[in-house]
Amino acid sequence: MVFLPDESRSLPPPPLVNKGSMWLGFAGWLSALADNAFNQRPVFQAGVHRQVLLASLGFFVGYQLVKRAEYVHAKVDRELFEYIRHHPVDFQ
Amino acid sequence: MAAGLRAVRRWGLAAAAPPRLAFTRSAFVATKANNAQPNWLGVGLAFGTSAALWAFLIKQHDDDLVEYEKRKQARGHKCTECS
Repeated sequence: MVFLPDESRSLPPPPLVNKGSMWLGFAGWLSALADNAFNQRPVFQAGVHRQVLLASLGFFVGYQLVKRAEYVHAKVDRELFEYIRHHPVDFQ
Repeated sequence: MAAGLRAVRRWGLAAAAPPRLAFTRSAFVATKANNAQPNWLGVGLAFGTSAALWAFLIKQHDDDLVEYEKRKQARGHKCTECS
């Protein structure tokens, strides 16, 4: 199972800043802050490289997940409209 | 990590004696992390990886935009039911 099939590129790509990427980026940043707290370091000022890395990783994963979600929704919509097109009597 | 050090003190091994195999359960008992001196290798790798991730993401997004426009032109929008 491919994560993003080739036909997903026929869809308009979601904007880079979207709900999924922002939320997971924020979650990654929070986990870096939590790591600081658990290791008794200053929460915001310590390990900035860690905060940046985890936030970027979260943003990246969120964006890929949103792309896959949009592909799955578009596929279901296409199948739905094809069914409606083939059974016009049921939808008068 | 602090809990592991407390356990070592409880076993009476805090006087720089290496833990014997029978007592060793965690690899983290061996060294104490020094947060005062930056681990420059780790910092460099973290920033480098972040930069590479962003570069890849932005490039992939631009490529996807170009590919979508190309496919839209090629399709000529024959299908009228889909948006």
